[in-house]
Amino acid sequence: MSTVPAQSPTTPVPMAVIKPWHTRLRERLFGYAIRVILQGLITVWAVTTFTFFLIRLMPGNPVDIKIDQLMQQGIPYEIARNQAMGLFAFNPDEPLPVQYLAYLGNLLRFDLGNSITNPGVRVIDQIAAFLPWTLFSVGSGLLISFALGVTLGTAMAYWRGSVFDNVLTAIASILYGIPDYIIALLLLIVGGVQLRLFQIGELRGAVDPGIAPGLTLEYIGSVLKHALLPVSTYVLASVGGWILTMKSSTIATLGEDYIAVAKARGLPERRILTAYVARNAMLPLVTRLAISIGFVVGGSVIVEELFQYPGLGRSLLRAINSRDYTTMQGIFLVISISVVVSNMLADLMMGWLDPRIRLGKGHRD
Amino acid sequence: MAERPVLQVRNVSISYLARRGRVRAVSDVSFDLHEGETLALIGESGCGKSTLNLGLIRQLPANATIDSGSILYTRRDGQIVDVLKLRPQELRRFLWSEVSMVFQGALNALNPVLRVSDVVYDTASAHGMPRAEAKRRALDLFARVRLDPERVFNAYPHELSGGMRQRVLLAISLLLRPQIVLMDEPTTAVDILTQRSILDVLEKLRDELNFSVIFVSHDLAVAAEIADTVATMYAGKIVEHGPVNDVFYRPRHAYTLSLLNAAPRLSAGAEELASIPGSPPDLIQPPPGCKFHPRCRFASDLCRDKEPELVSKEAGHLVACHHSDEVLATSREVRA
Ligand SMILES: Nc1ncnc2c1ncn2[C@@H]1O[C@H](COP(=O)(O)OP(=O)(O)OP(=O)(O)O)[C@@H](O)[C@H]1O
Ligand SMILES: [Mg+2]
Repeated sequence: MSTVPAQSPTTPVPMAVIKPWHTRLRERLFGYAIRVILQGLITVWAVTTFTFFLIRLMPGNPVDIKIDQLMQQGIPYEIARNQAMGLFAFNPDEPLPVQYLAYLGNLLRFDLGNSITNPGVRVIDQIAAFLPWTLFSVGSGLLISFALGVTLGTAMAYWRGSVFDNVLTAIASILYGIPDYIIALLLLIVGGVQLRLFQIGELRGAVDPGIAPGLTLEYIGSVLKHALLPVSTYVLASVGGWILTMKSSTIATLGEDYIAVAKARGLPERRILTAYVARNAMLPLVTRLAISIGFVVGGSVIVEELFQYPGLGRSLLRAINSRDYTTMQGIFLVISISVVVSNMLADLMMGWLDPRIRLGKGHRD
Repeated sequence: MAERPVLQVRNVSISYLARRGRVRAVSDVSFDLHEGETLALIGESGCGKSTLNLGLIRQLPANATIDSGSILYTRRDGQIVDVLKLRPQELRRFLWSEVSMVFQGALNALNPVLRVSDVVYDTASAHGMPRAEAKRRALDLFARVRLDPERVFNAYPHELSGGMRQRVLLAISLLLRPQIVLMDEPTTAVDILTQRSILDVLEKLRDELNFSVIFVSHDLAVAAEIADTVATMYAGKIVEHGPVNDVFYRPRHAYTLSLLNAAPRLSAGAEELASIPGSPPDLIQPPPGCKFHPRCRFASDLCRDKEPELVSKEAGHLVACHHSDEVLATSREVRA
């Protein structure tokens, strides 16, 4: 404690400078928030820097790629080079540190720059156009598979050893082992080509062309129809993991003393299931959920490409193929920010759900 | 102690289905528990004490079955019900309001994500006790077990020490004023001073609230202090049952005698301490005749062939031993 300055005899000396607990808590929370935000900023900066240099290590640059394309149309190298150089506002000969500093400078002004390969199109506008579709499709896929996984996993743990449990465990293990793009291909081949359940060509894009956006049944129906395949893919690809984790977590929880005691106290099954079993069994899954939310934004690059779904993943793939550095940087920035934010969210949720790790939990005496 | 039995256990057998076969953890157990009586259940680890306790309130694990017997419980209005015949809803309402339990080594007996108050309210609302009354009663009980009522009521389990949690569990076991509290080694997880204070509190509460207790303990000194009657269990059977002074000072079963000689505080002196040779029998294929005969120094051919029945030797003192008179003579000698 700092030394108390000399006091005039008229001012009474306080007995002890103990702040009330809520002030201490607020100060602690404030300090915590600052620390977390600083950590987040540093992480984002590090990832940004890393990707900045990494994507420039890829063979070729936007101009090279364009020259290649033009030469394939039979244009001689010199002319192709001039054309390509003139097309893009990008100078491949500019030294990397200069490019990096310019990029950081713009970033500090929240300017993500223009797309290199689509001159005149701002990166931020591209992200704004594609991000909502990814958020919608991957996000709803994640929530559906989480809800399904938690429900089925709990039920399987309750009736473990039953036919229901055995069959679903087998299915979940198989699904867990198949990557999402294989599932997407299977859906396309089996559903679209062999069973002819749908016309693959009609399902390209996020909505049927020519339908005005709005809260009309027609528009919403069209959105759902186009999202059906990607969302099913995400659900099938991730539900196995949720089911298996929830099942083992529930089985572990069912063996806890406090469940036996709750039963002996004569609590109704419902109350035991919700407040005692499910709540505790879900704790380890919540962290995973929050972290997965961070990866929602990245979308699934290959799945969106396969279904021609206009999300951030597909545009990332296109940006990579044409070496559109600025667009790639913009998308990676969004992904890293969302991962960092969702990690903070995971901490907050854990603290809210589990009092043992709650912040400022103690005014224990 | 009133003469009305609040619990009459008759010929109860319980077995577990294990990988190796059927484990007869409790076989043909009968006893009465009277109003206000504290019965101490003693015996080696694995002899079936916890199984019997859990069986009495039908809270056995899924691989256990109660093969036979009846558990007759006398309600406060005098009506007698067979616990084994209660339907699920009736059983749910019966639990805790009539018979509650303090579990063995239950440091993890409180849900880590719920406050103590939630546990109290959950218990109360499951049995139709109003919230306000539950709170009032919980605070009163917490004070009686020497906890700071308000602080504990609003605490999460991790904010309490092991001894405090144990006292919370003791208090909560009395929340609904049950007639019987089953206590399975309620003090093994706490230090000796906390154990002392829990026992003091328990004795005081019991005198004030007049409930019956079945008290499982490995500590014979504790059992001697707290119990009115003692039952010795061996290999799933009650082999001796009687008033505490009879059983502890005039044991009539060779196994009880060995237990007493193996216990430091009740035996005559340190030089007398003797462990029991051999190990408890296999409960899947128990030996024929008296199950204790392979370890018994009184064993005769009769013991190897014929299982002794639990019979009354003097008022209220039951024993299942062919050589109970010899044992009694020996124990008189030792204690003389
Ligand atoms: N879930 C189970 N499955 C199979 N066998 C069991 C199970 N629980 C207990 N047993 C067996 O039943 C017998 C009695 O066990 P129990 O837990 O009742 O003993 P205990 O007298 O309470 O012992 P302790 O003093 O160590 O607590 C033991 O032989 C044990 O191996
Ligand atoms: Mg036990």
